[in-house]
Amino acid sequence: MSTAAVHTGGIADHIHPEPQGFIRRYVFSIDHKIIGIQYLITGFVFMVLAGMLAEIIRTQLLHANGGFVSPDTYNEVYSVHGSAMVWLVIIPLITGGFGNVIMPLQIGARDVAFPWLNLLSFWIFPVAGLMLFSSFLMGAPVAGWTEYPPMSLQAGPGTSMWAAAIFLVGVSSTLTGINFVVTMFQMRAPGMTFTRMPLFCWAQLATAPLLMIATTALAAALAALFMERQFGVPFYDPTKGGSPVMWQHMFWFYSHPAVYIMILPAFGMISEIIPTFARKPIFGYKMIAFSSMAIALAGFMVWAHHMFTSGLAPYLQLPFMILTFTIAIPTGVKIFSWVATLWGGKIHYTTSMLFACGFLALFTLGGITGVFLAAVPFDLHVHGTYFVVAHFHYVLVGGSLMGIFAGMYYYFPKMSGRLLSERLGKWHFWLFFLGFNGTFLPQHWLGTLGMPRRVPEYDPQFTFWNQFSSISSYVMTLAILIFFVNVLWSLRNGKKAGPNPWGARTLEWQIPSPPHYYNFKHIPTVYGLPYDFGQPLPYKGLEEELTDTPVSVGAH
Amino acid sequence: MNAVMIEHIVAIVGGIIVAVVSAVALKNDWKTPGMENQVFKLMLALLCLGAIIAILAGAGVLGNFHQGGNA
Amino acid sequence: MAVANLLYGHEPGVEHVDQLYAETRDLRLQGFLLFLISDCVLFSSFIFAYFYMRNSGQGWPPPGIHRLDVAFAAVNSVILFGSGATMHYALENWKHGHFNRYAMFMIATIILGACFLGGQAYEYTNLIYNEHVTWAGSGIFGASFFTLTGMHGFHVSVGVIYLFILLLQSVHGVYTKHKYFGLTAGTLYWHFVDVIWVVLFSIFYLI
Repeated sequence: MSTAAVHTGGIADHIHPEPQGFIRRYVFSIDHKIIGIQYLITGFVFMVLAGMLAEIIRTQLLHANGGFVSPDTYNEVYSVHGSAMVWLVIIPLITGGFGNVIMPLQIGARDVAFPWLNLLSFWIFPVAGLMLFSSFLMGAPVAGWTEYPPMSLQAGPGTSMWAAAIFLVGVSSTLTGINFVVTMFQMRAPGMTFTRMPLFCWAQLATAPLLMIATTALAAALAALFMERQFGVPFYDPTKGGSPVMWQHMFWFYSHPAVYIMILPAFGMISEIIPTFARKPIFGYKMIAFSSMAIALAGFMVWAHHMFTSGLAPYLQLPFMILTFTIAIPTGVKIFSWVATLWGGKIHYTTSMLFACGFLALFTLGGITGVFLAAVPFDLHVHGTYFVVAHFHYVLVGGSLMGIFAGMYYYFPKMSGRLLSERLGKWHFWLFFLGFNGTFLPQHWLGTLGMPRRVPEYDPQFTFWNQFSSISSYVMTLAILIFFVNVLWSLRNGKKAGPNPWGARTLEWQIPSPPHYYNFKHIPTVYGLPYDFGQPLPYKGLEEELTDTPVSVGAH
Repeated sequence: MNAVMIEHIVAIVGGIIVAVVSAVALKNDWKTPGMENQVFKLMLALLCLGAIIAILAGAGVLGNFHQGGNA
Repeated sequence: MAVANLLYGHEPGVEHVDQLYAETRDLRLQGFLLFLISDCVLFSSFIFAYFYMRNSGQGWPPPGIHRLDVAFAAVNSVILFGSGATMHYALENWKHGHFNRYAMFMIATIILGACFLGGQAYEYTNLIYNEHVTWAGSGIFGASFFTLTGMHGFHVSVGVIYLFILLLQSVHGVYTKHKYFGLTAGTLYWHFVDVIWVVLFSIFYLI
């Protein structure tokens, strides 16, 4: 595992001629940077759509007797909101988006191992997304993003469309996972042993097997649901000998690793951003790297903690409870390492850093409520209530989404050559932070007081905090709008960034912004960790990267 | 000599042939280096195992031959 | 690869695609193996479902369902395993440059694979029309049996077609004695399909 990579040849090793024409450069591009940006754009488009669905939910819940949409429509709205956010927003943004743009640059490669497969992976994604949203035209799924039978068996045609769409986006994920594993194993620059690889890549390395293995398990569950709905093949219908609990096992066996898919790359992003803006080496590099692998592995062993109220025997609940507690350990190791990195550092509070610090605070809170939920007696009380909703929004929005925003402010200059406006960025951050906490903090006690989730109306005792939550969500939406304005404005008018506006030390910052299509004129040799601030850069061979020397097609 | 008998015999004889052939191939290729060859050797071993299972099934040693289920 | 040749092959200074092809072989092998692993997970998920349903206390086979024909399936299995052996020898002969022997073994593999599919078709017809065991109408027995063996049969069909394409390609000189990743991939895929069948045969017919 610690031998240096070998030049493996192929399209991604030699400099090939630049692609010509708009279609080959920007539409059907095999360049990982373009594909990554395509993922980011598409992911953000779906985020707007899924976000509008979220606001429909919050507007419905402004009043105890609802009244904004019908209860049936409400079911459709939260089902598609959840499905879209998980499969069309967070996972594509964080793996296909940032993984594609950054990872090959950080390992000193010219592209991923299978660029054509990458292209295929991307284009499946918008198609599948359109399929999911088209389900609104035919009776969208109504049983939540988890689609438990028997409700999912009895619902309208949109549920089958949902199954097909998610199956397809799962194929995209699986292929990306395969691509990333082979890329990171085979295409690191000479001298870059695994223990000299940046932590963002370690995070992607931990996530890629999850993409590959867990997603296929979901494909099986979805295929079975589809076959049962369309052809009557009994898997989950108890009247025909099937079992709804079996769906839950198969679904959660994927969906628990899925949440690690959604958070591990964000952890990787934070591991890059914090050292840079604290001007200090990352504390505990190896601990962070290996804890990512530990989380990925252990993530396969805890799925039934989503099923504590499904009638599992107590002797089964206990090991899942204990294993879930233990996942908090590697996660805690990371949090402590990041805090230790900040300690004694010279902190630069750029917007990116603000989001990273916000991530630390909010993800920790979400993680703590996760440990509460791991305890069976507590979970039995709050399962299916707003406490769970609060928990996963803290880790997914306060965690993953904040990580994505942090990454956007950090890497936008690398991708576009321009900086995002810090002024708008600070507005974005603070409004988002306040809005987010206002929306989801009260949901903790709404849950423990007994408000169930997925309900279009509620007992009037919960009114005040629901209204508080809804108003705060509008603030959060405003913040996200500011972000989009920032992106669109800065593309034209942002300050020019130069190759390394943050003074970072990983390889992607040693080349122009945006990089040339071939990434590096000469693949550098690596002889140290990138986080030793104050020491000379641990690379050799980068002298010509920022100069005007011409590059010859076919060069190594 | 009905169809079932023939099936049993074909299964046993065919299984023996395949098992021997794959075992011989495995033995001859035992020392080849490289990941590709390791995978092939694994596959050959599993193929041989499968053939042995087929022999046992043909001989009636392994196999779910009993009728229907419990009421 | 052909498309890559289209894009870059005519440019001066770029190596001919054949060389690129050889150099990417290691990567493609790893990628293909990972793909096979994910395919394993797909089958494993359905196998989990089969065991979950089977252990749900209804007895097995469920009341009213005839036992499966073990002997016939054993013969069919031997046919498939035999095709695995012939595939191995096809590749061996290719590597040693004996084209005619390679072609012979390749054709034998394809024919044996097709025979296996024929055997499966016969079994399905018998189950559906004589014993009235169907995919959707026979409870969890029909569901698990036809889904898993059907998925496997689909994989075998794709494999037979792919092997046929490989044969045509090798006749047209796409592969050389040193660069033959397509044949390696085909062999790996075929062995994979074989191994899955070992598992399916055991869990449906033997236990």
